[in-house]
Amino acid sequence: MAWKNARRAWLAAAALGAAASVLLAGCSGGGGSSDGKTQITWLVQNDETTVAMANAMIAAFEKANTDVTVKLETQPAGTEGDNLMKTKLSTGEMSDVFYYNSGSLLQALHPDSTLVNLSGEKWVKSLTSDFRSVVSTDKGLYGAPLGSSQAGGVVYNRKVYDQLGLSVPTTWDDFMANSEKIKQAGGVAPIVQTYGDTWTSQLFVLADFGNVYKADPDWAKQYTANKRKYADEPALEGFEHQEQAFKAGLFNSDFASATYDDGVKMIATGTGAQYPILTQAIAAIQQNYPDNVDDVGFFALPADKAGDTTATIWQPNALYIPKTTKDAKLTAAKKLVAFVNSPDGCEVQTSKLAVSGPFVTTACTLPSSVPPLVQDIQKYFDDKATAPALEFLSPIKGPNLENITVQVGSGISTAKQGAQLYDEDVKKQAQQLGIKGW
Amino acid sequence: MTAQAGLAAPVRHGRPGRTLRRVRSWIIGIVSIVLSLFVFVVPFVFIFLTASKTAPEASNLSFTWPQHWALWDNLVAVLTTRDGLIVRAFVNSAVLTIVSVAIMVVVSAMVGYLLQRKRSRLNPIVNFFVLAGLIVPPAVVPTIWVLQSLELFKTMAGLILIEATFGLSFCILLFRAFVATIPRELDEAAVIDGAGPVRLFFTVVLPLLRPVMITVVVVQAVAVFNDFTNPLYFLPGDENATVQLTLYNFQSQTLSQWNLLFMDILLITIPPLVMYIFFNRQIVAGMTSGAVKG
Repeated sequence: MAWKNARRAWLAAAALGAAASVLLAGCSGGGGSSDGKTQITWLVQNDETTVAMANAMIAAFEKANTDVTVKLETQPAGTEGDNLMKTKLSTGEMSDVFYYNSGSLLQALHPDSTLVNLSGEKWVKSLTSDFRSVVSTDKGLYGAPLGSSQAGGVVYNRKVYDQLGLSVPTTWDDFMANSEKIKQAGGVAPIVQTYGDTWTSQLFVLADFGNVYKADPDWAKQYTANKRKYADEPALEGFEHQEQAFKAGLFNSDFASATYDDGVKMIATGTGAQYPILTQAIAAIQQNYPDNVDDVGFFALPADKAGDTTATIWQPNALYIPKTTKDAKLTAAKKLVAFVNSPDGCEVQTSKLAVSGPFVTTACTLPSSVPPLVQDIQKYFDDKATAPALEFLSPIKGPNLENITVQVGSGISTAKQGAQLYDEDVKKQAQQLGIKGW
Repeated sequence: MTAQAGLAAPVRHGRPGRTLRRVRSWIIGIVSIVLSLFVFVVPFVFIFLTASKTAPEASNLSFTWPQHWALWDNLVAVLTTRDGLIVRAFVNSAVLTIVSVAIMVVVSAMVGYLLQRKRSRLNPIVNFFVLAGLIVPPAVVPTIWVLQSLELFKTMAGLILIEATFGLSFCILLFRAFVATIPRELDEAAVIDGAGPVRLFFTVVLPLLRPVMITVVVVQAVAVFNDFTNPLYFLPGDENATVQLTLYNFQSQTLSQWNLLFMDILLITIPPLVMYIFFNRQIVAGMTSGAVKG
């Protein structure tokens, strides 16, 4: 009996081992190009809109280039995604083409040593100079835009404005006066804040950078060199405005716990009047409140002086090719990047992505029927009243800004205290990056 | 004290006391049922309801009855996302969990048994490494280099070994502690009866380890099935996705499909739930025995 059991145990162990090895062998089989086609891989973030756009792009691309097949790979976005990108690049496992942020997050990838320089490509000439600067280092240009730019500022409900006979404010005092009127009319939250998703709290400061830039065009450079501080004017303005808005009691009553989705709902349905946020919010409005798309508009976060009011623009993400992509794959990868920036590629972009602002390449034009919100942004472009967000001009962005702005926006810290806290936070980041002067 | 005395007094009178006691136990029972309903069932109902809503309605994240039942549509949408990626992810997760937990149980039972029974000069060294495995955090990039040089990177085999390795230390400690409670006389009797070392382990010792084995299986299966970071870093590529990675398909900073996200969560919750329904007696028994003897 005992002998039988022992043998059975051995058999079980052996069977387990065999089963495992069969499974493992099945999983480790790799793909390859057998029919003379070059296969390249393309990595994108795995949210549904991006994947749908990428699939449509691949279909169109493969139709035009029959000798190349593109395999889509996905990964999460956010902090995990940032770490994963760096891990993949440093272990040589990056896909042949990948889609990632431009600006300071790109700089953190050390593009000079990890990415292929694309400055010689034909499509580069059609890029706006603002975009060029956010995908370049001193040694080369590394990225091709995919998607439209977006603005950071106030998304407002046009119906509320019409009913109360308000006009778009150009100074901070106008903005506060408008908000007071909305408050007195009752029923509608004058300013929407959603600290349930802490990142949304930063917009008072981040979207104010256009105004800082207008007042002091050299600010970003001096800031990187440790010669400008948030605790001083003009940059302190952003923190001060947030504090003033809180003290005047203009926020929605559940501002401390409301989420981004709540904020989008309020602004789309008119239970909130003004929401400082990124205009990418139009995608959520299109998905969840398609009937209200025409009810929302945009204006830049007003500065103290009307002349300084400037829309802060976030550049689109871009496509990059890592240095590990070589030979035939490199040629194919460059073809894909060029296709994305061709008229055919633009068509896919405009049909599959929510257009949240103008394009940054002349190869793409805005479709004729865009939501009013996008038209509002376009006006700032036409008036040349735009400036890039700080994260595209300086590599320094403190990781705790969102916590600090929640403090300021909830009345826990004063504007001055908050700005000083943030200057401290930034210091650590700058030292970590090894920037001179810190 | 006074309350107890007051309650104890009527018991002597017979009937009224008994009813009072019965009422009290009823109240306690009902209160605990209501509490557990709140803690365990309400979140589950919330997941189910949100998974049944349309995207605009789900974005409110409110605890309301769906206006339009979209349960089936959402199920189809989730299952067909990325050409059935989720079905593939379930297969991957099942393989990963079963194989890595099997390796952990067998290997750590052997190691734990030997560490407890055999006194040798190697013991302190082995103990040191077991503890080191618990304390030293695993670094991602060097681990990938090791896997690359073994040609195991991006393979399921590599990830299984990683999961097994990361869980091993904890399992060995559990087994070692449990083996101490098994009388040495049993081993000696088996040896006198003529059992060799292999037979001694598999026919005498292993069956006695059953309670702690169940503890290890439950704890590690949950840990491996729910693991997000290891599959993310060590097994990139769509065909290798595990279920936890699929959650990110429906969520991003500025646009989330809450209905599909919750449907995915619902699907992922079902396998552990089914396992629990079938094995709950063993699981509870294993947990308590592990807790007392540990």
